[in-house]
Amino acid sequence: AHPQVSVINTVDTSHEDMIHDAQMDYYGTRLATCSSDRSVKIFDVRNGGQILIADLRGHEGPVWQVAWAHPMYGNILASCSYDRKVIVWKEENGTWEKTYEYTGHDSSVNSVCWAPHDYGLILACGSSDGAISLLSYTGDGQWEVKKISNAHTIGCNAVSWAPAVVPGSLIEQPSGQKPNYIKRFASGGCDNLVKIWKEEDGQWKEEQKLEAHSDWVRDVAWAPSIGLPTSTIASCSQDGRVFIWTCDDASGNSWSPKLLHKFNDVVWHVSWSITANILAVSGGDNKVTLWKESVDGLWACISDVNKGQGGVSAAVEGQQNEQ
Amino acid sequence: MEEPDVEPAVTVVPGADPAAGQLCFAWGPTEVLVCETRFGRREEGGASASRVFVFRKDEDIYIDALRKLFNESHGIFLGLQRSEEKLAGKSRKAHLVQVSKNYRSVIRACMEDMHQAAISARDPALQNQYSTQVPILSAMELIWNLCEILFVEAAAAGPLLLRLLDWVRLHVCDVDNMVREVLSSEDPSKHELFWNVVDAFVLQGRMDEARHLLSKEASANPMSMNMYRILDDLMEKMPVPSLNNMQTLTEMELKWQHWHEECQRYLQNGTFASSSHMESICKILLGDEDAILEKKELMTTWYHFLVTRLLYSHPTVKPMELRFYAQSSMDLFLGRECSPEPLDTILMAAFAFEIHEVIKECSIALSNWWFVAHLTDLLDHCKLLQSHNLYFGSNMREFLLLEYASGLFSHHSLWQLGVSYFDYCPEYGRAYLELHIERIPLNTEQKALKVLRICERRQMQEQVRSICKIMAMKALRNNRLGSALSWSIRAKDSAFATLISDRFLKDYCERGSFSDLDLIDNLGPSMLLSDRLTFLAKYREFHRLYGEEQFSEAARLLLMLLTSHIAPCFFWMTLLTDALPLLEQKEVIFSTEQTYGLMRCLEDLTAGKLDKQKFQDDVETMKVEMLRLALARNLARAIIKEGTLEAS
Repeated sequence: AHPQVSVINTVDTSHEDMIHDAQMDYYGTRLATCSSDRSVKIFDVRNGGQILIADLRGHEGPVWQVAWAHPMYGNILASCSYDRKVIVWKEENGTWEKTYEYTGHDSSVNSVCWAPHDYGLILACGSSDGAISLLSYTGDGQWEVKKISNAHTIGCNAVSWAPAVVPGSLIEQPSGQKPNYIKRFASGGCDNLVKIWKEEDGQWKEEQKLEAHSDWVRDVAWAPSIGLPTSTIASCSQDGRVFIWTCDDASGNSWSPKLLHKFNDVVWHVSWSITANILAVSGGDNKVTLWKESVDGLWACISDVNKGQGGVSAAVEGQQNEQ
Repeated sequence: MEEPDVEPAVTVVPGADPAAGQLCFAWGPTEVLVCETRFGRREEGGASASRVFVFRKDEDIYIDALRKLFNESHGIFLGLQRSEEKLAGKSRKAHLVQVSKNYRSVIRACMEDMHQAAISARDPALQNQYSTQVPILSAMELIWNLCEILFVEAAAAGPLLLRLLDWVRLHVCDVDNMVREVLSSEDPSKHELFWNVVDAFVLQGRMDEARHLLSKEASANPMSMNMYRILDDLMEKMPVPSLNNMQTLTEMELKWQHWHEECQRYLQNGTFASSSHMESICKILLGDEDAILEKKELMTTWYHFLVTRLLYSHPTVKPMELRFYAQSSMDLFLGRECSPEPLDTILMAAFAFEIHEVIKECSIALSNWWFVAHLTDLLDHCKLLQSHNLYFGSNMREFLLLEYASGLFSHHSLWQLGVSYFDYCPEYGRAYLELHIERIPLNTEQKALKVLRICERRQMQEQVRSICKIMAMKALRNNRLGSALSWSIRAKDSAFATLISDRFLKDYCERGSFSDLDLIDNLGPSMLLSDRLTFLAKYREFHRLYGEEQFSEAARLLLMLLTSHIAPCFFWMTLLTDALPLLEQKEVIFSTEQTYGLMRCLEDLTAGKLDKQKFQDDVETMKVEMLRLALARNLARAIIKEGTLEAS
């Protein structure tokens, strides 16, 4: 069906320059935005309202992305910027403050992504200096840094974590004991590659190289798990293509790409809905398209969010491709 | 990539400037965010579009008047899933038909409520919303009813027609208004709509009512008495299929043939020539298409026309023959100019027994998943989807239920209904539930407990732990230590429990009292979750023992606490200070061994302090001095006491 889609809120952020990212927190109660005006803003958006809670200054250049950590760690937000810094902000006693700043990159940091909460509080950061850094909170205000240098030649544009899956049996662990997670994440870079990284004995190693794009990979998104043994990653590129990569076996060895679509312009972002049944694709062509996989494994565009001809709000009767 | 059957829905962002760049998109837990941006601008400066648009789909979930529909159908759904196993054969079918009827009565009730709400609504926007819903609900009931007849009950030739007649009678309401008007007039037979009403009755096969009205006309016009009697007789004798097995189809067909021929004879003899009305009725009885079509306005729909046609030309129609009659009826009725509406397409697919088409068309036409999800589930229970394609059939049901239930999760209270729907989706239900339930905002303890209970009942351990940790963190941020502790115990989170225990102890050092004593005193085995927590509990036990004047027990415990090293460093001074009152009792409590133990601890403490820092203030220094004195005195007394005992 196409359920009616309508605007329930228009948040006027009062950013003085272009907004680069907007993210809802876990529960949809707060909105974080970041902009070329160097600020990160947080709004309370419950019940269709918009109350500015914080205007965070600390970056010295355009801020590219923001990411909310899992609520079990408190109210924590990460931001990354052209100024080569990654800042972690935390709400303490009702006010938002900088709780950590990482300056170990030599160039713009393009993407930040929090790991599944099961692993602890860990942030992956991808930078134009080609490196990926992993910042782990170890307690008492301390963070440990691991760096993967030269992850992608020329630069890394995106990082995305794999959902947490406990290998082997799922017997409940006695309290205090951490199950043996195999941590993985995907990255996309200016070397046209999507790479998969795996942690082994405390070190991060390149596990897979996924080649299919012919130009810079702009974004990667690892789909949430719905209990199937398959893993799915979406990647999009300067070359206008969006690929869906799937890997069937638990050992994570054979990834095969399926072309979702070739667009006429650069595709900048891909993101999965929370149950991974819809992929949103934002491109250079002034619109966002939503894609769904039908029962027989084919992908089709189910919706199109665009700017239209002049701002008249309308939702056209759509189609449902559930065959 | 597959080509969709219909163009994708286009949603235009209101007020956005098409020239200003691209759209940035993010998923929220139940909504989506869109904002204008310009990708690839890696420097500052430029257009300052600063708005973020929050979109939500599944708007229907928020219509209050539909709440009852969702709630009550949920109950029916659950009942159906649970009753599955016990029945078989005929009783099973009867049960499924009853379930179908229950769903329909819920739709009808909702329609009534919606109708009332539309009338009484003050706000024009609301009124509009309600008024638009009424015809939709009506259409849903119409479709469902037809599906019940054709698929659930699977009426066979004979009863099929009777059911279809009921269906038409139930859903063409315009007639009733007209009927009321005519019957309540002084002299019905003189009313200008009199013959319309009679015709309407005939078209719907309501013979008794038609005859009753005709009798009024007859008494008013004695001239037509003869014609009336004959017509009345024909109408009375018309053979109809029986619901029970009183006669076979063949018998009925034979009777019908004779009756048909009799009508034919009367018509051809010109019996009704002087009354165009009665003649037209006779033609209708003979199934004359043109005569029936003349009464188009009274039938209003092609499916009414279809049933009338069948009644008067082929009453023993078999289910599989319906599609041909339906198609031709629609063509004849709508003519060239009209193209079918979505409702027409759906009904046509039903008459053609193309169940998947019905579901698909309904999915396209309707704005929420409620209808298709519940109907498909019911049809699946009738084992109708499996006969098409096993794999695909069961996936269809689950697919639709997942969509519907996911939509419920965006609502602050309807999400609870969604939980049970997920429970009955064997393939992905659990995963979907896990992903959705984590996103329920835990605004209050009560809500958190509700969510927790749901997770615990389903052994969703990860989610339980996660929720408890989130609540513990929240409580800690709000300085509600007792609550934080309870939650971390429930989460079996020892690190957090340690953190909170430290907070309790630090607070005690500052204020001299504990909050949440009830909790700490009744920890039971959970105190073992972390060493620090155990210490906290044992320390409280020490206080209790002292309060009960069980001094030697208290002393033993205190010493154990000091020597077992589970006490945090910052607390040692407090512990030692606690020894003072015990040392200064008239009676000797600490033995020599114990006193030596205490002295050792004090020395460790002071030695450690000297290394790191000076004592904070004179109070500390004085305390140490007092302790040393008290310990020395106690040692002396203890030696004497023990010496004396040994001597005797």
